Amino acid sequence: MAKQLNPNDVLLEVKDLKKHFVSRHGLFGQHTTRVQAVDGVSFKILRGETLGLVGESGCGKSTTGRTIIRLYDVTSGEVIFDGVDISKVSQGEMRQYRKKIQMIFQDPYASLNSRMTVGDIIGEPIDIHNIAKGEERQKIIWNLLERVGLSKEHANRYPHEFSGGQRQRIGIARALAVNPDFIICDEPISALDVSIQAQVVNMLEDLQKELGLTYLFIAHDLSMVKHISDRIGVMYLGKLVELANSDELYDNPNHPYSQALLSAIPIPDPDATKHGQRIVLEGDVPSPINPPSGCRFRTRCKYVMDVCKEVEPEFIEISPNHFSACHLNTVNK
Amino acid sequence: MADKLLEVKNLKTSFFTHVGEVQAVRGVSFDLGVGEALGIVGESGSGKSVTSMSLMKLLQYPGVIKEGQILFEGTDVVPKTEKEMRKIRGNDIAMIFQDPMTSLNPVYTIGNQIIEAILEHQNVTKQQARQKAIKMLELVGIPSPESRIDNYPHEFSGGMRQRAMIAIALSCEPKLLIADEPTTALDVTIQAQILELMRELKEKINTSIILITHDLGVVADLCSRIIVMYGGLIMEEGTAEQVFYTPKHPYTMGLLKSIPKVNKKEKERLIPIDGTPPDLVKPPTGCPFYARCEYAMKICKEQVPPYFGVAPGHRSMCWRLHEDAPAHEDFIKESNRGGTHG
Amino acid sequence: MSEQTINKALWENIPKENKDAEVISRPSMTYWQDAWRRLKKNKLSMLGLLFIFFMVMTAIIGPYVISHDYSTQQLQLANIPPKIDIYKVDDATYIYMHSEYKLFNVTADGLLSDKIKETENDLTNRKRVYNIDGNEVVLDYSYASKKVEENPDGVKFKLFMNGEEMKVYDSVHNKSYVLGTDGLGRDMLARVIYGARISLLIAFIATVVNFFIGVLYGGVSGYFGGRVDNLMMRIVDIINVIPLLLYVILLSVIIGSGLKSIIIALGSVYWVSMARIVRGQVLSLKEQEYVLAARTLGASSMRIMIRHLIPNAMGPIIVSMTMLIPSAIFTEAFLSFIGLGVNAPLASWGTLANDALGGLRSYPYQLFYPSLAISVTMLAFNFLGDGLRDALDPRLRK
Repeated sequence: MAKQLNPNDVLLEVKDLKKHFVSRHGLFGQHTTRVQAVDGVSFKILRGETLGLVGESGCGKSTTGRTIIRLYDVTSGEVIFDGVDISKVSQGEMRQYRKKIQMIFQDPYASLNSRMTVGDIIGEPIDIHNIAKGEERQKIIWNLLERVGLSKEHANRYPHEFSGGQRQRIGIARALAVNPDFIICDEPISALDVSIQAQVVNMLEDLQKELGLTYLFIAHDLSMVKHISDRIGVMYLGKLVELANSDELYDNPNHPYSQALLSAIPIPDPDATKHGQRIVLEGDVPSPINPPSGCRFRTRCKYVMDVCKEVEPEFIEISPNHFSACHLNTVNK
Repeated sequence: MADKLLEVKNLKTSFFTHVGEVQAVRGVSFDLGVGEALGIVGESGSGKSVTSMSLMKLLQYPGVIKEGQILFEGTDVVPKTEKEMRKIRGNDIAMIFQDPMTSLNPVYTIGNQIIEAILEHQNVTKQQARQKAIKMLELVGIPSPESRIDNYPHEFSGGMRQRAMIAIALSCEPKLLIADEPTTALDVTIQAQILELMRELKEKINTSIILITHDLGVVADLCSRIIVMYGGLIMEEGTAEQVFYTPKHPYTMGLLKSIPKVNKKEKERLIPIDGTPPDLVKPPTGCPFYARCEYAMKICKEQVPPYFGVAPGHRSMCWRLHEDAPAHEDFIKESNRGGTHG
Repeated sequence: MSEQTINKALWENIPKENKDAEVISRPSMTYWQDAWRRLKKNKLSMLGLLFIFFMVMTAIIGPYVISHDYSTQQLQLANIPPKIDIYKVDDATYIYMHSEYKLFNVTADGLLSDKIKETENDLTNRKRVYNIDGNEVVLDYSYASKKVEENPDGVKFKLFMNGEEMKVYDSVHNKSYVLGTDGLGRDMLARVIYGARISLLIAFIATVVNFFIGVLYGGVSGYFGGRVDNLMMRIVDIINVIPLLLYVILLSVIIGSGLKSIIIALGSVYWVSMARIVRGQVLSLKEQEYVLAARTLGASSMRIMIRHLIPNAMGPIIVSMTMLIPSAIFTEAFLSFIGLGVNAPLASWGTLANDALGGLRSYPYQLFYPSLAISVTMLAFNFLGDGLRDALDPRLRK
């Protein structure tokens, strides 16, 4: 089921995106700490494509998603959606883009307001954008509920009466209510049970086929990301360290961090684990307040060289459509 | 399996809430040998965590063990008082929890918490306990334990805290370690570290382990025997190979089918298990899985199936295994799928 | 393994559609229904709620039902306690002897009628003579000034009828004035009920004002955060350090003491605690994913505030409101007590307590009833607040 993508039809381009969180301390806010959550990330997403973004907590993958949709203000860089740089437009102008870009959240328990009925939750985007009123609104809500495998009787119930998977589908219905082109899926399945995850992933795939949606799929579960994504970007401490087609990334991971991340996936196969070679990384992710100089992964990398400490590796194309930021690629050549 | 350390017989645990009795565990029996690592796999609401809390008798109100026996080294712990249980907890049975952020007390140092656990159960001086604590921290791979012992939990990262939790749990050399989703809250690379550590420890010290998780990958990694739970009942039990390569229950098959295969080249559609788990206030009269089962028959709705032994040490609760049951091609195919080999 | 033979029909497959895998079996219950269910289980809270309901109803309806007016003065009938000692003159005639040496006609079950006029007042011998139904009743109050040796029992007076000493016939409840009368002969019951009106009114108005200011202020502060929040919270700190008493005195000077200034004083000071609670709630709630979701949908700040933040912060807001009412009642009582409260003839529980101070040793009941009303009402609100806190706590929701 290979998708036909037009390599010139770029829906979203992110150029050197930075998001730093600055917090002030002291009586007059004279002291500042700067958390470099996202520090120079660039990628393109083609129309109809699914780009996966993986990394561990604190790597900035969720911040990237939230900055694209302008939940956070951009520190620097560009976010070009359909030819327009939306990183600097006002929140008022942003409103029209909110119909085109939507988001699905991680926690199906926290992402639905428990004081509203499911009908009102799904109806909220319809009200905000004055899409429909009265009976027509009702009809849209019922259609959306059915589209995500629930029935119209569920519209009058409250979120806490649903299971995690059902809630996540309600969240998807809410995102679909404005007919978006692009959906940012922020760890949409990591809080769900295994048997439910597949339901949601299949639903996302079906919706993509039917509606021609484009996804940015953020997750830490690499096996699911591999399954759903056309291309995958690996993030570490605010940087994109590798970007490649999903099969290519799994077969030939270039960056030492990607290699470790891939080998760490627990495989549900007793034999595979017994014979598998696992790269166990030492230590923890350093703090994004004070990231290591040069290559940010050098503190945990077993191939670390002198150059890694001084020079930040460039994000270069090592083979067609396969990008990586590691000094090993340049030193050896 | 030489000696049985733990034997659970027909355990039933319920929560008496305002909506009615939530029958979280509805008759679970299994046993555990000395030095064995048993994995209990199930989704949320399957009763796996309630089972483990019942073993420790740490059920929160309104949870009650309604029926059954929990024989630990031959003696039943169900009738034991809270005071007697306190001697067993930590000393004979220890537990590590899912969230290393909240399971350590933030106002005491890591060392304090290990020393306290040692002093509680062992007749040693404070100095000896401290030495032991340092040794434990070293054992779980915390660098420079002599200085880190005086750190507070917030100075430790998530992975380090889970290591510290394991150190506390193992400090009194328990005979049984219950690990309730020990890696779920951790990142993949840290999860790999903890799993590696647990595997090492299993070989170093002869502790029995019950690992409770929803992640099939994690059990495959660590456990020799696996119990699959659903709707408060054990659906299938067998060795890791049996469960992964020749699953005999539609639920196990469904679980295995619904996870993507990383090592597969061509993209194939995932096969989800439709529907949602049953509401245990009104558990189904028959098999709890029948509503989501693709092989369901009329009998599945009406009667809870008995266990059918399919191989030594391998049992499954499914009517399809009954000798009179009509053969179902897909069922047979699935049960010989060979796990992820396929 | 049970190997009984099984009916062949049971081996039939069930098609997928008939299995109802997505049906929700539990009844639908909103947050408020669930909270009410849990509140109902708390006996003390329900008792408190019942009492508050009773108090509010009494304050509203009470003045129309009882026969006495709160402001009508009957100086002759001043300071009559709720329990009175009566003497029997004959079968149809009973008299009540007031501690101020006044005699009243009274019925056997305690209904007061009128004061009896003395026929002779012998000031030198400290004697008063009355003529009741042809009987000569003499009140000798010279005992009060006699020396201890002559009056070992400490009797203050003696009543003689036709020369014979009268004994207390019975101690009965005052039927005319159930809670007695105050120093100006006003019915205490009417005044306590009327006081409830004023006290509860002040408390409710102050609370409602606090609710609106506090929610708005705290909501804005928490929602916008950062510098706005910092500035707004420093203002709160400043307001918080001005003593309430100073504030009220200044207000009384400017707009005169009375109902208005108390309400303004309470309304302008107490909202700070509400603002802090709302701010804290909003700060934590605004990071919730459903608020982020609303923002990605393009919802305005106003909409997020009204539809998402405030409804979810309502639990703690209501709890702090119920806890605010008793402290408003108490503050009002305190201010009235020290004379900064409502003006006569309006009565609040505080002014009633203050009025009773002068005659405290002789007529303690005048202090007792208003104080009782204050305490029990405060207790009721506290019980209710405690119960609400438990009932509305989302962590206890199962």
